[in-house]
Amino acid sequence: MSRSTLLYYDRIGLLCASERTSAGYRVYTQNEFNRLERICIFRNAGLSLENVRELLSSGAAPSVKILENRLQDLEEQILFLRGQQHAIIAMLKKMTNGSFKPIVDKKMWVKMMEAAGMDESSMAKWHAEFERRAPKAHKEFLMSLGIPKDEARKIQEWSKENR
Amino acid sequence: MQDHVNKENWVAMFREVGLSDEAMKKWHHLFETRHPEGHEGFLKWLGIPSDEINKIRANSR
Repeated sequence: MSRSTLLYYDRIGLLCASERTSAGYRVYTQNEFNRLERICIFRNAGLSLENVRELLSSGAAPSVKILENRLQDLEEQILFLRGQQHAIIAMLKKMTNGSFKPIVDKKMWVKMMEAAGMDESSMAKWHAEFERRAPKAHKEFLMSLGIPKDEARKIQEWSKENR
Repeated sequence: MQDHVNKENWVAMFREVGLSDEAMKKWHHLFETRHPEGHEGFLKWLGIPSDEINKIRANSR
């Protein structure tokens, strides 16, 4: 925590020291310290200062709403980042004539599942189960295996029919 | 319907399709020996805390 951050919080009224020494130094009480601790927890979760202010002053219900919104934002950002990751992988594949591979690709994944005793029908069932429970996570997972968008969409559609 | 899958959901899905505890153990072992980074990334993706990840990976070797 830098001095300038504390001064800034003071200036915007988020965290004000209630006392000063005779030399003008800010003195923080235990209460203010606890408030700062909460501020840091919220900031570490990527919440805006505006949100932090609301979280500190409002009850449980509005707080839940704010946190849910932040969670939704994060999910959107993760999908957006996955898209970028995907685009980069596609570029790398092209530049290296197809020799670039994600850490675990579809082939490796299927091999491991087979080795653990899954056959084609249990894998189809697994996709259907994944799609039914968490379609977003299913999509994210398929993309992480380097499966192209169109193919991922096809797998998802076919998983829905397989229920 | 949910946005994320955690460890419990994943295990539930594997059980649903008929994988035994023994098969899941084998699967972790394969994952750890063949693709250690992939295994770590996957466990992270399930939201498992890092000390538990270390334990799972050590037990999978």
